[in-house]
Amino acid sequence: MKLVALLTLSICALAQPPVSFNRDIRPIMADTCFRCHGPDKGARMAGLRLDLREEATKPNRAGRFPVVPGDPDKSLIVERIFQSNRARVMPPPSAHKELTDKQKVTIRRWVQEGASYEGHWAYQKLARPDGTSIDGFVSARLADDGLSAAQEADARTLYRRVTLDLTGLPPSPAQMKAFVGNPSTYEQAVDRLLASPAYAEQMTMHWLDAVRYADTAGFHGDNLFPTWPYRDYVLNSFLKNKPFDQFTREQLAGDLMPDATVEQKVAAAYNRLNRVSAEGGLQPKEYLAKYGSDRVRNVSAVWLGLTLGCAECHDHKFDPLLAKDFYSMKAFFADIKETGLVPDRGTKAWGSVLQLPTSQQRQRMDEIVARLEASHAKLDKSTEPINEDWAKGVLADYDGGKLAWQFQRPMSATAKNGTTLKIYNEEELDMMPYFGGIIRGFRAPGNGLIVATGVNPDTETYTVTFKPAAGIWTALGLEVVQDDSLPSNSVARGGDRLVISEIEATVMGSKKPLKFSLANSNVSDPAWEQPPLAAIDGDPKTGWGVLTYGENKNLLLSLRFRETLRTNGTETITITIRQDSDTRKATIGRLRIALNAGRYAWPEGSDVTSDRIKRGKLQAGAGGLSDEVLRALRSAPEKRTAAETAALVAYRAWANPASIVALAEIASLDHERYYLSSAIAKVLQTEAVPPVETRILARGNFLDETGPIVEPAIPLRFGTLNTAGRRPTRLDLANWIVSKENPLTARVYVNRLWRQFFGTGLSKSLDDLGSQGDLPSNVDLLDWLAAEFQSDWDVRRVVKMIVMSRTYRQSSVPGKDALAKDPENRLFARQNRIRVDAETVHDVALAASGLLRERFGGPSVRPYQPEGYLTTLNFPKRDYSASRGKDLYARGVYTQWQRTFLHPSLMTFDAPSREECTVNRVNSNTPLQALVLLNDPIYVEAARVFAQRMLAEGGKTLGDQIDWAYERALGRSATADEKSVLAELHAKNLARFRSDPASAQQILTVGDAPLPVRSEPAELAAATTLTRTILNLHEMITRN
Amino acid sequence: MQELNLKRRAFLGKSCAGFGMAALNSMLGQAATSTSKGVISPLHHPARAKRVIFLYQAGGPSHLETFDSKPRLAQMHGKTMPESFTKGQQIAQLQGKPLICFGPQQNFKRFGKSGQEMCDLFPHIGTVSDEICIIRSMWTEQINHDPAHTIMNTGSIIPGRPSMGSWMTYGLGAESEDLPGFVVMMSSGRGGQNQPIAARQWSAGILPSKYQGVKFNSVGDPVLYVRNPPGISKDMQRDSIDAVNRLNQKQYNAVEDPEIQTRIAQYEMAFKMQASVPDLMDMSKEPASVLEMYGAKPGDGSFASNCLLARRLAEKGVRFIQLYHRDWDHHGGVKDGIAAKASEVDRPTAALIQDLKQRGMLDDTLIVWGGEFGRTPMSQSGDGRDHHIKGFSYFVAGGGMQRGISYGATDDLGYAAVENPVSVHDFHATMLHLLGVDHLRMTVKYQGLDVRLTGVSGEIVKGILA
Repeated sequence: MKLVALLTLSICALAQPPVSFNRDIRPIMADTCFRCHGPDKGARMAGLRLDLREEATKPNRAGRFPVVPGDPDKSLIVERIFQSNRARVMPPPSAHKELTDKQKVTIRRWVQEGASYEGHWAYQKLARPDGTSIDGFVSARLADDGLSAAQEADARTLYRRVTLDLTGLPPSPAQMKAFVGNPSTYEQAVDRLLASPAYAEQMTMHWLDAVRYADTAGFHGDNLFPTWPYRDYVLNSFLKNKPFDQFTREQLAGDLMPDATVEQKVAAAYNRLNRVSAEGGLQPKEYLAKYGSDRVRNVSAVWLGLTLGCAECHDHKFDPLLAKDFYSMKAFFADIKETGLVPDRGTKAWGSVLQLPTSQQRQRMDEIVARLEASHAKLDKSTEPINEDWAKGVLADYDGGKLAWQFQRPMSATAKNGTTLKIYNEEELDMMPYFGGIIRGFRAPGNGLIVATGVNPDTETYTVTFKPAAGIWTALGLEVVQDDSLPSNSVARGGDRLVISEIEATVMGSKKPLKFSLANSNVSDPAWEQPPLAAIDGDPKTGWGVLTYGENKNLLLSLRFRETLRTNGTETITITIRQDSDTRKATIGRLRIALNAGRYAWPEGSDVTSDRIKRGKLQAGAGGLSDEVLRALRSAPEKRTAAETAALVAYRAWANPASIVALAEIASLDHERYYLSSAIAKVLQTEAVPPVETRILARGNFLDETGPIVEPAIPLRFGTLNTAGRRPTRLDLANWIVSKENPLTARVYVNRLWRQFFGTGLSKSLDDLGSQGDLPSNVDLLDWLAAEFQSDWDVRRVVKMIVMSRTYRQSSVPGKDALAKDPENRLFARQNRIRVDAETVHDVALAASGLLRERFGGPSVRPYQPEGYLTTLNFPKRDYSASRGKDLYARGVYTQWQRTFLHPSLMTFDAPSREECTVNRVNSNTPLQALVLLNDPIYVEAARVFAQRMLAEGGKTLGDQIDWAYERALGRSATADEKSVLAELHAKNLARFRSDPASAQQILTVGDAPLPVRSEPAELAAATTLTRTILNLHEMITRN
Repeated sequence: MQELNLKRRAFLGKSCAGFGMAALNSMLGQAATSTSKGVISPLHHPARAKRVIFLYQAGGPSHLETFDSKPRLAQMHGKTMPESFTKGQQIAQLQGKPLICFGPQQNFKRFGKSGQEMCDLFPHIGTVSDEICIIRSMWTEQINHDPAHTIMNTGSIIPGRPSMGSWMTYGLGAESEDLPGFVVMMSSGRGGQNQPIAARQWSAGILPSKYQGVKFNSVGDPVLYVRNPPGISKDMQRDSIDAVNRLNQKQYNAVEDPEIQTRIAQYEMAFKMQASVPDLMDMSKEPASVLEMYGAKPGDGSFASNCLLARRLAEKGVRFIQLYHRDWDHHGGVKDGIAAKASEVDRPTAALIQDLKQRGMLDDTLIVWGGEFGRTPMSQSGDGRDHHIKGFSYFVAGGGMQRGISYGATDDLGYAAVENPVSVHDFHATMLHLLGVDHLRMTVKYQGLDVRLTGVSGEIVKGILA
């Protein structure tokens, strides 16, 4: 039976074209043989190697020949693959790699025909095959299979397709109308699209996936790190159509280029996009090894389409890549200044960071620094040396309790936007402070505590009244009490920080507010705080902020009265605490109000570690002096440490009434410096230092330092760099990558470009052109395109060639013949239908509805995100605050990319976390996607704004309005059938909303976008359900 | 529909060669949430377990205060750790510090007929001692939380590999009509050592995103975006979905794109989930005795409530249920810390095992209890323990595992697994084996590799199989 089958097959073979090693044999062997009989000598069995002809045709130890060209019956491999004896058959059953009968016969035929080998296609020097156009190569290949191209897509489909592919946005109705009226303007349309910023944004999105660009560090606390200027670099490069060779050199080695420009240095941030960790207790060597490996994996995937990462522990199993090649590649990056533990906050955050001030910013910063120096100089003169009598007096005041902060007993506490404020004077409540690294819950009297609960609005104003005892007061204190029950950083009710925009105080009955001269807090690291002065500067946009908090003391903000406040015990004081910052919910969770009568007391919050609090015995707030100053005062002058003396000098200056002018100047300059410095763009910097030693790590084990030291080198298979004895650099690597000697890069990149316009590459493996990769369905076409690209590295030219081709312009509706013969459409006898990428899903909805706010470049933005999504992040604990204003409606490419918790809507539509190179997003179709489009507030808001415009501009009849919306969403008008479905829904919902106006009101208030001044709620709500339906259509997120 | 399916099958006949069956299933519209067959169909061998409940104790529970009694370590308390143990080994925060033996901080006791030894703070788990199998010889290769979680969940430290729950849903499909096949829940401890856990831990990685774990939350939306927008009633949502589906169907009639049929099915599924998820999370109808048994208070987001929800999910046919309970990272105060954790997990863990047993579900449910690594026999900051990877403990129950036995052992000081060591890959291989899957044969092609959960190693731990 088997023999007959074989015979039939070999007879058939006569009529078949000869077996091609690359097309027919290599894929089989790579999958089933090379693991044990391939390049990895460590894993090689029986000394047999089948990937090289001279090896495969040599006799083995027993004198038998694995392959005898032309004589399958004498060839050992043929005997072994046809074996029925399980003990002898190849591949062995334990490998779980059974050959099919067809594969066996193919191997036999190949031996019969002479066992000719071909080098792996992608490793061959790139030569331009004969031919002149994409369509020529495609139709030649189609003819081989008796297929022909599909007809051209209709004008509407084509125009929507090319617009979506090139820009990620839908065409405007005007553009569509113009094009449909005159389809011969296709080339002009393409040129216009290619020149648009939206084209650059679309190309950037794909590139960012490859280089795993993100806004956060990726490990552990996954904190934000400065990268967006690199994204701007990529945007501008595509906008200017920067040649790809230059683009490559700048990213890999911009910092090493002669007279490197700022732009080139920014480009080099590519080298620092890898994940980094700030986890305490990490072993630096282990993480340096991780970072190095990450870079090798990325550079080899992005530019070479090689899985060099597989050679970290052993020689590559399938490709001619050695472990030595892996470490030699890693050695190129050994000059990058970095540490294993990368600090993620404070002044040393992220190591080397490049500041990118504008010339104006730089000038102003220089001025501020100079003026600060001058102001500080004024202080120094007035405070040195320390007068010991003064010191004794201060200590006596402290010990006598005169510097203590006295917590007030509020009489009322109210909130403007609905928050519930509850006062705990002597009443007990649960407290959960975090100290010594542990949350220690206890129950104690509130001691004047005000607790915010209930509604949690984005902004809020608290008003507190209290009646102080008789006294002469020098300062007002606001204690922010930390508690782990808060969703944010233990002090705020949301967001990633606390921000108090303005504090006002008045004595009841008096018209004039109390004035403050100075603001200070006890935050120990200035990098964690926005300047305290901002709370009394009269500017609601600025505010005293605390970015992260986990200290052992509560926060205290001290506001020094300009004139002392005298009370006789009858006055009621009203404090207004405005919290109106752009960070949503950056409002205080727990607070106390305090007064101080000392001259002058340092803001020290109550000590949460104190057992006395637990026992409820601490009636007044502690403090009044910082621990360091207190230590200094308690030591004899000659025994003070330098730090203690400095603290004392600083305190003396701060407390000296004569310094008030200089202090005010300093505070004001610090304030300005903070906001200026926050406005200055920053980016991770690649700073070259003398290279560290790179060793081959046996099995990738970083503890094993016995392996040989390697120098930078390209994988041996591809030659060696000639640098005349000089150690090769990243720039040498980049130069080789874009040289004609490198057969890979041009092939890799045009294959990916092809995917952008057809949904799949000519080779389906976008990140692996090695022997395990998929053989291109049309090698000649890929090579021709690659040769074109390599000739001038002009990205836009190749893109234009692709979208101008007839192949691209075909209809995506498959013909019966093509469907049967080429179900996967590997030969391109039609276009493919593609679900648009996650960012585009977002952008088309916003563009169609009119909610999109176009911009080009700039910092990342934060769309709405469900509350609590970041709960499992820590260090610091934080919550999310959506952007405000136009940033809410920026394109998806600008979304803040949080690696460990990517925005859930993007993730649901298959956007990658960008922890590793991704060049082939998997495209899924899931119920969670339906939930996003139905219920994510941005899509509800888009539907509402879409409806607002539809009612205003879409014509008089519902039918006209539906057409108007369809034009914007789908680039076509609706059919009568479609209109009737929508009209039915609309009528039903209109009735519902009329009978239940409250629900209409609710749907209309989703999102920040303003409602029109005049609108009939039920009508707008019903229209919103109609547009929401359109935004949920499959066609909406599909490019045909 | 049948005919349609066949047509699509023919259309896609060849496409399964490339990505594998996943792509095919996706195109055929079998959502992981619906009763769908996995790629391993039929199973490689008969399954002993149908589902897994993984009680993931995040932070690195100290084996020395939970399941691995070390009297010799108590004797060595305060003495220098012999260098023969520690030389050349990885160390986390104790790098460069003196390594001093730190005796067990809690007492151990024997429980049940099997007399298995465990910390006496686990009296409830003690009552199910005869149901569980303690593994005292686990080891891993990553010493910091984030990578250690990643290897425990995905078998690799390189991001992008599917997590075990995704593999199981991919391989075995789902049994639930209206719930995801892979559900994750999270609870925090009151100790404050709540280390971050990245979404990567339940990511489908290179598999289609429909296999990713879906996180169920006890506060806010139980599943992200599962609630209707304000002002949209259930009826309105139903009508909107009907309109979307009718319009999509018209489009399908015109262009016959099979993805449209999938989209229609997914909108139906989404609507079902909008009802079933809140239903599932609503424990108010559970009898008081059951709430009491677990120590659960509806809506409190505690580990106890999650254990009860896990049982409800298991009843609905969810394939892989993973409960993270955080806060086991006891660098300091391990004595009090373990006591606090024991009070949070002891009762609900035992309740879950008993509850499944009384419902006849323990036989085909595999329960796993353990974290990403263990802790050093050496002290840190006087009263804590550092991360430790050479030896730590897990326990398993039900689903074809032996009952009432202890397996493997660390050395006298609890440093390294010396008897029957079990690697992460071994553990994964064993889990898959019980589910009817040969770990060597469930692979996905990616970058030229046949990627599998067990990387390039993994032996089935035969000694713990019933």
